[in-house]
Amino acid sequence: MAHAVISCLHANLAATEAVLSDIEQLGIDRITCLGDLVGYGPQPNEVVELIRARQIPSCQGCWDEDIIEGLNSCECSYPSQLAERRGQRAHHWTAAQLSEENKAFLASLPLSLRRDRLLFVHGSPNSQHEYLLPDMNAFAALERVEAAQADTLFCGHTHRPYVRELREGVIKLRLHRAVANPGPDIEREVDLPVRRIVNAGSVGEPRHGGTSATYVIHHEQDDSVEIREVPYDVERTCQAIVAAGLPPLFAWRLRHGFEYAERADDASHVCER
Amino acid sequence: MTRVLLISGPPGCGKTSWILNQLQAHRGPCGYLRLEGFTAAELQQAPDGGIDRAFLVDQCPGLLDLAEPGENPASRPQDLLALIELPQWQAPPEAGLAGIDPRLLPPLEALQLLPQRHLSFGRDAELPAQDTLQFNALEAWSLDLTHSVWDPPSLNSFWFELVNGAYGEVYRAKALMNLPDGRSFFFNWIVSQEGTQFLPLERVAPPVGRPQRMSRLVVQGKHLDAAGIEATIADGLLSDAVLELQQAPQRPFGAPLPATR
Repeated sequence: MAHAVISCLHANLAATEAVLSDIEQLGIDRITCLGDLVGYGPQPNEVVELIRARQIPSCQGCWDEDIIEGLNSCECSYPSQLAERRGQRAHHWTAAQLSEENKAFLASLPLSLRRDRLLFVHGSPNSQHEYLLPDMNAFAALERVEAAQADTLFCGHTHRPYVRELREGVIKLRLHRAVANPGPDIEREVDLPVRRIVNAGSVGEPRHGGTSATYVIHHEQDDSVEIREVPYDVERTCQAIVAAGLPPLFAWRLRHGFEYAERADDASHVCER
Repeated sequence: MTRVLLISGPPGCGKTSWILNQLQAHRGPCGYLRLEGFTAAELQQAPDGGIDRAFLVDQCPGLLDLAEPGENPASRPQDLLALIELPQWQAPPEAGLAGIDPRLLPPLEALQLLPQRHLSFGRDAELPAQDTLQFNALEAWSLDLTHSVWDPPSLNSFWFELVNGAYGEVYRAKALMNLPDGRSFFFNWIVSQEGTQFLPLERVAPPVGRPQRMSRLVVQGKHLDAAGIEATIADGLLSDAVLELQQAPQRPFGAPLPATR
């Protein structure tokens, strides 16, 4: 049995429809969404309503949270003043467009979903705003999965799909006795089984060097993961961006396989606001 | 004896870089003059606004400004090397001095700067030719950015978008841009080359308020989206408050605050 994991739809209806159609053609009827249904793209209501209509279990992304909470993330999430200004414009536009019903739906989304030893989050188990980049420090990456008591952690947020296996994880502990409590030091060594981080990439705002939408399929039978790339009508979304009055530069960037705004570089930053 | 050379060529062919090399190689006093050139049908001259001169003066301290109103030809040093830069779309019809556009002669005569040699990119083999492009139509657009200071990552993004076609078909772009730490960079890009030349100016302004030196952007291309460029620039420039926030830690304790404008 297989299930599909999608993430970061970013109000891109053409991309979302193409990915759902691809999943349907593969005969997969179980889908999990990792959030960021809205933000930057021109069809926030349409995308949210499509996910609701298909009853796809979703967790809340950073954009979904910000639309409800009102720019909850701090300015250090943005790599530049230019990106921040553009992001805020997109935020205000999206907040004005979204129906109250759809906002209520986004507000109701959980921060994580769990199925046995599989955990589904937007950014990391710590926060929707934390980036788990593929080259993140191995110990930190292992800690995120282990602390969440998962074997496989499915995440999005970075917009770059990848599968990272964390092998031969060992945690060594040494407890040194205080002077007031003399005795030999205690040492323990814990061997960790293989852990895995699977990033689903992005449906609506890919950043893998091309314009195709990406998502992943998890084949439960052999526990393998397949990264899928789905071409879609990029021009349709670009025209909708311009027609909606969003910055035309968003269309230019999407057309060239760049993010709507610049990508954030700080993988370790977790917004604490 | 003063040696006067006229260097002409189309946008981005390397006139200023070649002139810089000559100035740096010359052991005696040097002077520089930039002529505006003539707009041909469908081919607008770029309003340079002094970018090239400011860059050369920074790289060659003591460079004589031959366009300076008070500059006295009689007091020029004997062994002066005077280089005149002329943007010119087409290679001159004839080689050497005979190829000089006659419209240039009266003003040059008034400055007592009649060239002894004329070298043209695309015509004279002793000049490099790899970026000497032929243009049929070209719009020009420029923006004075004096007193403006960029958020550095925003400048990086803006330049990437500019030279990759986000604001129209850009064939040539150059600029002098200020950063909050007092540095200024000369940006030099032409469509025929892969990357941009980013050259830091030698002179660094103190991190106290807005720099007084010139800053400007010049773009040449087709279907240029001037409004889009200006909107992005407005989003990438620092306000007084943010500039002060970035500069304050770089000043010695007790240093005077910037004057309020």
